[in-house]
Amino acid sequence: HCPQVHSLQELRRSASLATKVFVQRDYSDGTTCQFQTKFPPELESRIERQLFEETVKTLNGFYAEAEKIGGSSYLEGCLACATAYFIFLCMETHYEKVLKKISKYIQDQNEKIYAPRGLLLTDPLERGMRVIEISIYEDRCSSGSSSSGSSSSSSGGGGGAGGR
Amino acid sequence: MPAASGKRFKPSKYVPVSAAAIFLVGATTLFFAFTCPGLSLYVSPVIPAYNAVVFLFVLANFSMATFMDPGIFPRAEEDEDKEDDFRAPLYKTVEIKGIQVRMKWCATCRFYRPPRCSHCSVCDNCVEEFDHHCPWVNNCIGRRNYRYFFLFLLSLTTHIMGVFGFGLLYVLYQVEELSGVRMAVTMVVMCVAGLFFIPVAGLTGFHVVLVARGRTTNEQVTGKFRGGVNPFTNGCCKNVSRVLCSSPAPRYLGRPKAEQTVLVRPPFLRPEVSDGQITVKIMDNGIQTELKRTKSKGSLEVTESQSADAEPPPPPKPDLSRYTGLRTHLTLATTEDSSLLGKDSPPTPTMYKYRPGYSSSSSSAALPHSTSAKLSRVNSLKEPNSICESGHKPSYRSEPSLEPESFRSPTFGKSFHFDPLSSGSRSSSLKSAQGTGFETGHLQSIRSEGTTSTSYKSLVNQTRNGSLSYDSLLTPSDSPDFESVQAGPEPEPPVGYTSPFLSARIAQQRETDLHGRFASTASPKHAAPREPSPVRYDNLSRHIVASIQEREKLLQQPPAPGREEDAGLADSGIQSMPGSSNAPRTSSSSDDSKRSPLGKNPLTRPALPRFGKPEPPPALRVRSLGSPDQPAAPHLGKSVSYSSQKTASQAGGPETEEVALQPLLAPKDEVQMRTAYSKSNGQPKSLGSAPAGAGPLPLSSPTRGGVKKVSGVGGTTYEISV
Repeated sequence: HCPQVHSLQELRRSASLATKVFVQRDYSDGTTCQFQTKFPPELESRIERQLFEETVKTLNGFYAEAEKIGGSSYLEGCLACATAYFIFLCMETHYEKVLKKISKYIQDQNEKIYAPRGLLLTDPLERGMRVIEISIYEDRCSSGSSSSGSSSSSSGGGGGAGGR
Repeated sequence: MPAASGKRFKPSKYVPVSAAAIFLVGATTLFFAFTCPGLSLYVSPVIPAYNAVVFLFVLANFSMATFMDPGIFPRAEEDEDKEDDFRAPLYKTVEIKGIQVRMKWCATCRFYRPPRCSHCSVCDNCVEEFDHHCPWVNNCIGRRNYRYFFLFLLSLTTHIMGVFGFGLLYVLYQVEELSGVRMAVTMVVMCVAGLFFIPVAGLTGFHVVLVARGRTTNEQVTGKFRGGVNPFTNGCCKNVSRVLCSSPAPRYLGRPKAEQTVLVRPPFLRPEVSDGQITVKIMDNGIQTELKRTKSKGSLEVTESQSADAEPPPPPKPDLSRYTGLRTHLTLATTEDSSLLGKDSPPTPTMYKYRPGYSSSSSSAALPHSTSAKLSRVNSLKEPNSICESGHKPSYRSEPSLEPESFRSPTFGKSFHFDPLSSGSRSSSLKSAQGTGFETGHLQSIRSEGTTSTSYKSLVNQTRNGSLSYDSLLTPSDSPDFESVQAGPEPEPPVGYTSPFLSARIAQQRETDLHGRFASTASPKHAAPREPSPVRYDNLSRHIVASIQEREKLLQQPPAPGREEDAGLADSGIQSMPGSSNAPRTSSSSDDSKRSPLGKNPLTRPALPRFGKPEPPPALRVRSLGSPDQPAAPHLGKSVSYSSQKTASQAGGPETEEVALQPLLAPKDEVQMRTAYSKSNGQPKSLGSAPAGAGPLPLSSPTRGGVKKVSGVGGTTYEISV
């Protein structure tokens, strides 16, 4: 069902990285992790405003959940203290669990919404949670030559991964 | 001790941490070895257990504080800072809970440091929520390991207190026999403990206060919030809970890079965007840009806000006149489409290309920005409209009337040629969109009138209506008095209307009109109604011609008995000029009012009679605009007509000369004349200076002769050149 059977050449033939858009952090509420929901003008013709805002808002919700100070995080701290932090060797912290959820969500968004529109979201964790990087790909009919390393590798990797 | 990048091994930086470790472990070991056995034997076994737990806690926190990533930001990649690198300001401000916080550009890490982030020179890293670089642990203390550092301090203080206390107990109570070794060791341990207790306790107390206040050491030491408010605090309890109970933050470095498994392949979906939205958006971008860039207050913002109401806004305020006429029309356009526009679009230069007709016409109208700015808001905005009106009606104009357009177009752009009618209609549509502020009724009536007829008379009518509108624009209060003004004397220019802009335009107009319409406009003007407003550039030549023809008629015909007969007739005013001129100045204002239309009518031919007749009767030159309270309609034409009609009580020769000279005057001369007009308005000043500026005009030369001073109605004095 996936077009991975196509040759790699065909896969990378016409998608090349054009530019990157960076969605900055929203510091209006202090250092809590939030991203600006302002719609970047570069995406004006690439994606609907609604979809983008929904993505960012969902991400903000995830980060708020990760940083939430509640009973679970308190118990986790006590347990860690009691075990002289050896528990961290075995167990994943609450934050890390949410980060895994975020990563999955971003990948899901990429597959369903952004990649069909020639866009790619990058997990802000890779950028130190300072920006959400959105790569904009252009439709170029460059046959054969690898248009850009990132796109070709991603498409190649995607082709391989998609085939699984 | 995490290091961001491989560095040369520096033993010096490990001295403090080594010393601290040695002291801590060594002293504690000695305590356990020499003091605790006797204590556990003779006091309680709980003591060593307790101390062991505390010591374990100390060690754990010490290790975490030492080896944990404090929250180092990875270096920004090249593509992230492309736009930030060279032209980026050093600081970027961001508002946090209403407080402006500066974010500094980190040249090493290539991003703007988030709030509370600082670059550690020892570690050469930007650290999130940087507290300080602790030499005792040889690590930065940041967001991730501050909790462990704080707990380390607390536990260390506790440990020190325990060791010292139990050692004191051991020594004082001589638990065991005073064995030299154990006692000595215990004493040494006590000394070390006592020695380290003071700085450690001090530091612990310091950090307890910081945690309670929600500050970092860096902020406290640099005095960031010394007098102000800390935007990062949430209250004492929440601050403490955030430090101790929050889930440990993740590290950014050293993460396994997630492999991109998503395939990006064309064809790409595109969102649907309507053309109207696109169009609107372009306009909005330009307008928004202009609006934001220019930061014009008042009307532009008003327009924006009003646009949401989808109502035509009031005329823009004079600030608009300072900008290019394009912006004026951009604002006009905004009002139409603003409802569709978002406010967050980036600026694009497309706006300048969007309405070329408007841009050129409005730019032409807005050329003398500084001068037009002097006008009232309504005037400044309506000037271009009226000019556009006059410029965009070639259909009803005689051929020469196109000359001003052609004259203007090279200066201001080709828009006049491309489709004056359509542009005019567009302007009219915009104006109608603008609403009452532009007196659309007037303008539209003008337009309709103009388009329906091509004769000069209709043109004159249109002109008059245009003048009327213009006059009403200039002096809205006087617009109802238009008719009366026509009849009455009005040698002076409109009160307050001293716009050099208009004078320049008028001068240009008159020049072209004069040249172009000299012959064609001569005859029809006889029957044309008085032209009240000399501001109509296309009427200037007509005024000149009218005045010339009036003079001709006056010379040919006997003076009419009364001015009243001349009311309503363009030429009658001229014809009655001799009579009216003979009439005493005591004529009432009603007579003046009656005269004004007469006076204005000859304005349509202001220059011709004068130019054609080197020796017109003095009465012709008499200015009629004696009443200073006459509306501030353009008086160039009026003055001419008045001069042709009125008695000595009215405006004098200089004004006539001025009128005659005006079409050929340079803009600066026009300014002089305008100022002269303004000065003479209501004041018995001679306008002798005015003719001086009319030197270059050949037409004026024959009219220059002796100068006779005439006092008009209302106390105005005019110099009549005979």
